[in-house]
Order: sequence, then structure tokens, then C-alpha cells
Amino acid sequence: MTTVPASPAAGGAIRHRLTRLDWSERLLGFGLLAPAFVLLATVIVYPVAVLLTTSLYRVDQGTPAGRAPFVGFENYLDAFADGRFWTSTLNTVIYTVVTVPGALLVGQGLALLANLPFRIKWPVRLGLLLPWALPVVFAGLIFRWFFEYRQGIVNDVIVRLGFEAPQWLSSPKLAFVAICLAIIWKSSSFVALVLLAGLQSIPRSLYEAAEVDGATRWQQFIEITLPMLRPAIVVALIFRTITAIQTFDIPYAMTGGGPGDSTETLAMYIHKTTIDFLDFGYGSALATIMFIVSAVATSFYLRHTQRDRPTRKPA
Amino acid sequence: MSGFDFNRRRWVWLAALVVAGNGFFPALWILFTSLKTEGELMRYPITYLPAMPTLSNYVRAFTDQPLWLFAVNSLIVATLSTVLTVVVSAFAAYALTRLRLPYRNLILQCLLAVAMFPLIALLVPLFQTMRGFGLLNTYLALILPYTVLSLPVCTLVLASFFQDIPMDLENAAMIDGCTRLCALFRVVVPLSAPGVFTAAILSFVNAWDEFLLALTLNSRLTMRTLPVGITLYQGEFAFPWPIISAALIVAIVPIAILIAVFQERVVSGLTAGGVKG
Repeated sequence: MTTVPASPAAGGAIRHRLTRLDWSERLLGFGLLAPAFVLLATVIVYPVAVLLTTSLYRVDQGTPAGRAPFVGFENYLDAFADGRFWTSTLNTVIYTVVTVPGALLVGQGLALLANLPFRIKWPVRLGLLLPWALPVVFAGLIFRWFFEYRQGIVNDVIVRLGFEAPQWLSSPKLAFVAICLAIIWKSSSFVALVLLAGLQSIPRSLYEAAEVDGATRWQQFIEITLPMLRPAIVVALIFRTITAIQTFDIPYAMTGGGPGDSTETLAMYIHKTTIDFLDFGYGSALATIMFIVSAVATSFYLRHTQRDRPTRKPA
Repeated sequence: MSGFDFNRRRWVWLAALVVAGNGFFPALWILFTSLKTEGELMRYPITYLPAMPTLSNYVRAFTDQPLWLFAVNSLIVATLSTVLTVVVSAFAAYALTRLRLPYRNLILQCLLAVAMFPLIALLVPLFQTMRGFGLLNTYLALILPYTVLSLPVCTLVLASFFQDIPMDLENAAMIDGCTRLCALFRVVVPLSAPGVFTAAILSFVNAWDEFLLALTLNSRLTMRTLPVGITLYQGEFAFPWPIISAALIVAIVPIAILIAVFQERVVSGLTAGGVKG
């Protein structure tokens, strides 16, 4: 190859050099990705394998470690026959169905308000950031205090308005309402932050043009704001749904799942099964079921992010 | 935004009050509660502002439970996992944006899929794995999962910043005798300092806030982090609210300061990936 004159040879030589460069680049690239992969392997992939295997064995307090009997899908069948599994799953579904749209509505409202032209921006921005940055379990504790029967601020207001103070956290239905309100308060600020960024990326000229055409503010909202916000809304919705499926901290802090099991979520039941009752086999089966549900939501998310990627360039 | 009438400034003020009030009220209420005496708290109807502000609840918060230790644990876990996250995700982001790698998109998709992974589903096997390695009740038991938790988001944030740095700058550095790795640390990382900052804050907040894994993997009192530690003040039937409130304020203040100082960075990071609920 070396003695061949003229351009083709030069091209060949360059290509040859490029492939060698390519190889060193690939080596470096995968070397740089290695730490991330090692971490994912130890914290996600290996535990997933353990999860799936454990769910097929009876691993509980009664069975000595290493001699757990293989039971096939018995744990899963047990789950489907377990009333508490269905209650906690139903509760999780209700929390999701109530708090995801709830947080979206409140978050949308907050975002619209926060998008007004303020001279001093930090109080509003911090007002959105603080609930987001607060540990979820703290939100649960604070709302438990709000809904306290005698000294809670909620009942104080209710009494002042002339109504009778209800026992929020010891009635199953009212406890549910209180928990949903806490979740909506905690998560709506995140939704608002995402939507606010979406609002700020809408070109002002669209509104000016609509104004010239005589569109009312409501028409502008329906015809311009909502369609332009769609990608941000989708992202916020799906993120919220996936976290709602895992709801744990707020009911744990507010009611501990009570009264009875009436406000317990699937995540709380998994935690109790494994950590309190040490029934690892059954807990793993429950966790696998939750994983499958979440995986469906994830694939949904990935399809959408792919479609919306061009519009989601970071600010 | 037009269409406002003559008192539009008043409406803007009202809007600001609603948004800020919604965000600040719970923390403010907890602050008031933490300054009330136990006697005042028993009073009915309840008082709003503390009549005789006292700091005794803060003293009790530190003496009833090892609050200082919880805070130190939280700080160590959050700081170390932040450092680890930033380094590992900077490597990954560099490889994914600056190098010609096959399957780049697939790798990115895998990272995103992990971001969505339900942590609670891995609670059982993580507990078993950590127990197997004898890592229960160690900082590492939390640092490793927290790093993975923030890894995808931080990689996305850093990648978006790396992308905007002209390749020529890096090439110039390499012509001057820098290796690729040295170009990463001498050129790319310094130039994307805002991105590195954003990634660091996001992962710090994630680690500082996490509850379920900390509750499960580190059950020894001396290894508790703040979110878990503060749930320990309650007795079986009694809730010492002023003391809990004081402890909450102690735990909220550091993160609130961090957020207040870096608010713009946090907002831009959140919009880069939509991060946490």
C-alpha cells in the first residue's frame, strides 16, 4: 500500500489512520462508560436477577438460608389470592388517579401565576423550589401536623368557619383525602417548574398575533398555550405517574397505612412483608409485579421522550 | 402578556403571594410551632404566632435524639454520592457526546430506563445484596444506590452542556500535548462548570431527601440519616410536635439555603430532564 502514488492511496492511508484512531477512541469511550456500567450492574442488574430468582422460592423466617424450597409461581398465585395485596394495589391506583391529575392542575395554575411579569423573581421561584427540595417524608410529617384533630391548623380553620372538626387521620376516607392533598402539594411544585419552563419557551409573538386577530385570553390559552405546552405536560405527567406508583413516604408518615390497612400502598405492603415479616420470597413476587407495572409506564415514557426530544432542549 | 386592566400590578402581587405562600407556608408554620412552649401548644383554640418564643425545643431536638449525628450522616452520604455521581456521569457524558461510539443512542436509552426504575421494587434484593456483602449500616450501602439514582439525570445535564463546547478548543489542547482525558478535565469540565454545578446540586438534593432505602438499609441508630432520624421522635402514642418541628427546621435550613443560592441552576437542571417527583 505504501508505494502506490496519487490520491486513492492517500485516501486509503487516511482511512486506515482513522480506523486506528477509531479504535483508541472506542477503547477510551467504553473505558469512560465502564464506571457507570459497573454501578448499574451492582445496583440494578444484579439485584433484579436476585429479585426474580427469590420470587420463585419460599424464603422466609421459617426456612434456613440456602435451603429455601423452589415453589415456582406459587408466590404470585398467593398474591392474587391475597386480599391485602388487592387493597394496597387498589389504594395505589386511587392515589395515582387522584394525585397525578390533581398535581397537574395545581401545578399548571402555579406555573401560570409564576409566569406573570414580576419585578423581583426570587420569592416566587423559591416558593416553587422549596416544596420540591423538601424531603417527601417531611411533607408527610408536616401535613400530619396540619390535620391533627385538636391542634391542627386545618381543623382550626374549619371550626372558625363554624363547622364541626372531623377526625381526619382516624377515618379511612378522610385520611385518604388528607394524604392525597399532601401528595398534591408536594408534587405540584415539580410539575409547575417543568411547565413554567415550557411556558417561557413559547414565543411572545404568537400571543401578539392572536391579539391582533382579536382572540380573548381564554382563546389564547386554549389555542396557543396548551398545544405549545404539550411536550412539557407529557413529561410531567409521566414522571408523576411513575413516582405515584411508588408512593410510600407520605402515607407512611401520615397514617402508617392505617386506620387498619385502609391507606396502605403496594410499596408499603412490600416493605412490611419483607422488612417486618421477613417474607422475602413473597415480597419479591410483589415487587416484581410492581416492577412490571412500572416498566409498562417506562416504555410509554421512552416512546414519548423520543418523539418530543427535539422540543426538549434544556434551557 | 397583555389584557390586564388598570390594577394589573395588584393582580401580579396577589399571584406572587399565592405562589410564594403555597411554597413557604408549611415551613413557616413548622417554624412557628418549633418556637412555641409545650404549654402554649396545649392551648385551645390554637395560637398562630408563638406568644413567648423559646429555643428550648431546639435543645430538646438535639438531646432527645442524636440529631447532630443524623445531620453528619446525611452530609457524608450526600456529599460522597454527589462527588461519585458527578465524576461517573462526567465520564459517561463525555463518552456519549464527544467520542464516536457505536450504539450511542442505545446506551443513552438504557440510562434513561434506569432513571425510571422503581426503587421500591429493588428494596428486597438490595437489602439481601447489601446484607450478603456485609454492607448494611454502612455509608456505602446508601452511597451506591444514591449514585445510581442520580446518574441518568446528571449524565443528561452534563451531556447537554458538553455538546455546546466547540471541538476546536479540545483539539487545540490536544495539539498542545494534552491527552483526551486531560482535555476532558482541563477544557471540557471547566467550560461546563454551570452544568457540573447543576448536576451536583440535583444529586445532592436527591441523596439528602431519600427515605425508603435509608430506612431499610441503615437501621442502626448511629447510621440513620436526617429524613429517617426525624421520624424517630414520635413515641407510640405521643407526638412531641414542637420538638419534631425544631428538628425539621434544622434539617430543612441547609437544603433551603443551597436551593436559594443556586435557584437558577436548579431550575435549568430540572427542565433538562424532568427529574424527581
